[in-house]
Amino acid sequence: MTMISPEERAAMREGFGRLLAEKCAEADIRRVMATQSGNDPALWTAMADMGITALMVSDDHGGIGAGMVEIEEIMEEAGAALLAGPLLSSAFVAASLIGLSHDADAKARLLPAIASGEKIATVAFTGDSGSWDVAGVTATAQPQDNQWILNGAASFVLSANLANVLLVFAQTPGGLGCFEVDSAHVQIEPLQSWDPSLRLSKIMFDQTQAVHIAGVDHATFEQTLDVARVALAGEQAGACRRIFDITVDYLKTRVQFGRPIGGFQAIKHIAADLLIEVESATSAARAAARALDTDAPDKDVLINLAAFACADAFSQVAATAIQMHGGIAFTWEHPAHLYLRRARADAQLFGQSDTYRERFVAAMEKAA
Amino acid sequence: MNSDAMTIGDEVRAWLADHWDAESRRAKAGGSLAQWMDRVVEAGWAVPSWPTQWWGRGLDKKSVSTIVNEFRKVGAPGAGQDRTNITANSVMQFGSDTLKRKIIPEFLTGRAHQCLLYSEPGAGSDLAAVRTRADLQGDHYVVTGQKVWTSGAQNADYGLLIARTDWDVPKHEGLSFFIIEMRQPGIEIRPINQITGDSHFNEVFLDGATVPAENRVGDEGQGWKVMQTALAVERLVMGDGAGERRQGSSKNNVVSLIDIAREAGKIDDPVARQDIAQAMAYRQLNALNMLRAKQDMAQGTASPIMSLGKLAMSRILHEDARVMTKLLGAASMLDGAEHERAADINYRTANAYMTSIGGGTDQIQRNIIGERVLGLPRETEADRNLPFRESRAVTG
Ligand SMILES: Cc1cc2nc3c(=O)[nH]c(=O)nc-3n(C[C@H](O)[C@H](O)[C@H](O)COP(=O)(O)OP(=O)(O)OC[C@H]3O[C@@H](n4cnc5c(N)ncnc54)[C@H](O)[C@@H]3O)c2cc1C
Repeated sequence: MTMISPEERAAMREGFGRLLAEKCAEADIRRVMATQSGNDPALWTAMADMGITALMVSDDHGGIGAGMVEIEEIMEEAGAALLAGPLLSSAFVAASLIGLSHDADAKARLLPAIASGEKIATVAFTGDSGSWDVAGVTATAQPQDNQWILNGAASFVLSANLANVLLVFAQTPGGLGCFEVDSAHVQIEPLQSWDPSLRLSKIMFDQTQAVHIAGVDHATFEQTLDVARVALAGEQAGACRRIFDITVDYLKTRVQFGRPIGGFQAIKHIAADLLIEVESATSAARAAARALDTDAPDKDVLINLAAFACADAFSQVAATAIQMHGGIAFTWEHPAHLYLRRARADAQLFGQSDTYRERFVAAMEKAA
Repeated sequence: MNSDAMTIGDEVRAWLADHWDAESRRAKAGGSLAQWMDRVVEAGWAVPSWPTQWWGRGLDKKSVSTIVNEFRKVGAPGAGQDRTNITANSVMQFGSDTLKRKIIPEFLTGRAHQCLLYSEPGAGSDLAAVRTRADLQGDHYVVTGQKVWTSGAQNADYGLLIARTDWDVPKHEGLSFFIIEMRQPGIEIRPINQITGDSHFNEVFLDGATVPAENRVGDEGQGWKVMQTALAVERLVMGDGAGERRQGSSKNNVVSLIDIAREAGKIDDPVARQDIAQAMAYRQLNALNMLRAKQDMAQGTASPIMSLGKLAMSRILHEDARVMTKLLGAASMLDGAEHERAADINYRTANAYMTSIGGGTDQIQRNIIGERVLGLPRETEADRNLPFRESRAVTG
């Protein structure tokens, strides 16, 4: 639960929005996309200076101790700008995992450096199945002479190419565990992704030495994914709103048959329907963040609702935006496809809509 | 929460504790619903945002939300009508002081019932095309014409009437808005059988009916503007129903999709579960949107989200009915006593059109959202600037 006031939250969001407008405009995104790292170090430093990378870390470890409500809003801004790089994977997901562990050493060792942006971390959840559940974890860990040895692989790891610290879920003889691996000691294979702003890797472990993170179990795995999902929902809500705004602007300026195309009902009605999707995504993401912060009784209902509603809204709005733009949106130069790429990637990251819908019904059943 | 809202919260809680029995959901001193409503109006809870000389307390919107919530918690009716009461709001905003004093208390206490005399056979979506005429004769107007689809006309004491007072100006400019007494010789009401088998709506024939000039709401020729306000309140009410149990209608929301799936033995069918999830999600999302809109408004920020509720509500009701029908399968061919569940679902299927047609169709709602919320160009109207007398609504 956060100690940050609504005023501070609004100021932070606005400051971050301004930074992104300045340093993460469309041209910057395209430039960064084309680099090998897929990250803009100058922007990363600026975000760290602003405290954005410290939000998830508690204040006794050099962080700000914000709640999901703040993180969700920051992710709305990040999504709107299609920010690339390790903000989500390191500052939010990895930091939350370590924060949730019961490992005082790991916290003291890693959190201050993650908060300051000095170290970049990421979490390896799933194997080749990409199922984002415990059954999908295929890496294994064996104890050997006072240390742990990892074998197998993890896939779809976000921003692993940038990470110094890998936090790897693995099956141990005693159940699920989590391990810290130095990225220098493993083979990281970049995966070519359809969304070039999103860097995914496969990590191979071969008798790799690892440090056990204490107090991470199946429940922590789910809790970390919940944080990841709500943050991602924020990204989707923000991105979906931005591509919608871009589209509505175009509907007002593009003239055909002697009038702006937004005057045609076939187009206007689609826009009205999409607005419902955009607003619903925002409401859902924010409600899920609030529920997570307060550990609300309907937390599972709201997180799963946000997970599929935001993924579906972003996918639908981004795809329809291309249709509403016509030929111009079929070009590489137009931003619409960048949003479509991110929407399609986000719709798979951390799990799929169908799975969330199923869990949503299950949670409602329990409540009923 | 600011300290003002705290104070008002305390005050309303204390007042409710004194006057309302939450257990039995009745007024403590007994008495009729109307007497309870008198007390609510007297205390200023009915329309807290209105000025003190007009039944209000001059409070901000946030305080109104607090009051409404407290009333809702204990199941007491009557609070917060400054958002929901169509007649009271239209008269308050546009009526003369005499009319306010005469009409508003009757409506705030629920003693009087209204119906909406807008639609005509030739003027549905295009409400500015109405041909019912109101001609001033001395101190009253004489009204002649035909209205249709008038919900609740049988039980109404007053009708909110839109009628043409000038035929020589463009269609939106020649309209005036009235509050007409329904129980008079010049008005004949004929029920219409509805798709659901009910007959809540009616044809209303006006033939030399009269309405005092002081019952005109707003100036002559300003009727369009007044009606827009009345329609906005109506749409708000229609869009705000999701997530909350509707009162008074046993056919709404009592049974959930999950119950029906259990009954039908399909609760474990993965395809059915996907459908159920989507339908339930629409409902939840609209409730979350409305909550957010109310929070925005309580903070004094205008909320465009509020205007989405009615369109979203249509989607919810049609989707619920669709999924329920699928769950029921072959049994949905049955009806009546043969299969009560089927009867309920069939009723819902038909009744969903009430929201997607009544109060303005979904298509018109999309036009409104596109134009007023998103700022897209207006629909072109062939007869917008013609004197009404020369438009196709008259010449055919
Ligand atoms: C249950 C119910 C209760 C009602 N109660 C009342 C009442 O109490 N008082 C009252 O006055 N009225 C009432 N109505 C009437 C209701 O407001 C009208 O039926 C509605 O506004 C549509 O008008 P119409 O029926 O003439 O259809 P039309 O206007 O003829 O529309 C026919 C079709 O054309 C479409 N259409 C028309 N114009 C456009 C446009 N510009 N762009 C796109 N599509 C368009 C419509 O969406 C619709 O699909 C009620 C209706 C129902 C169903």
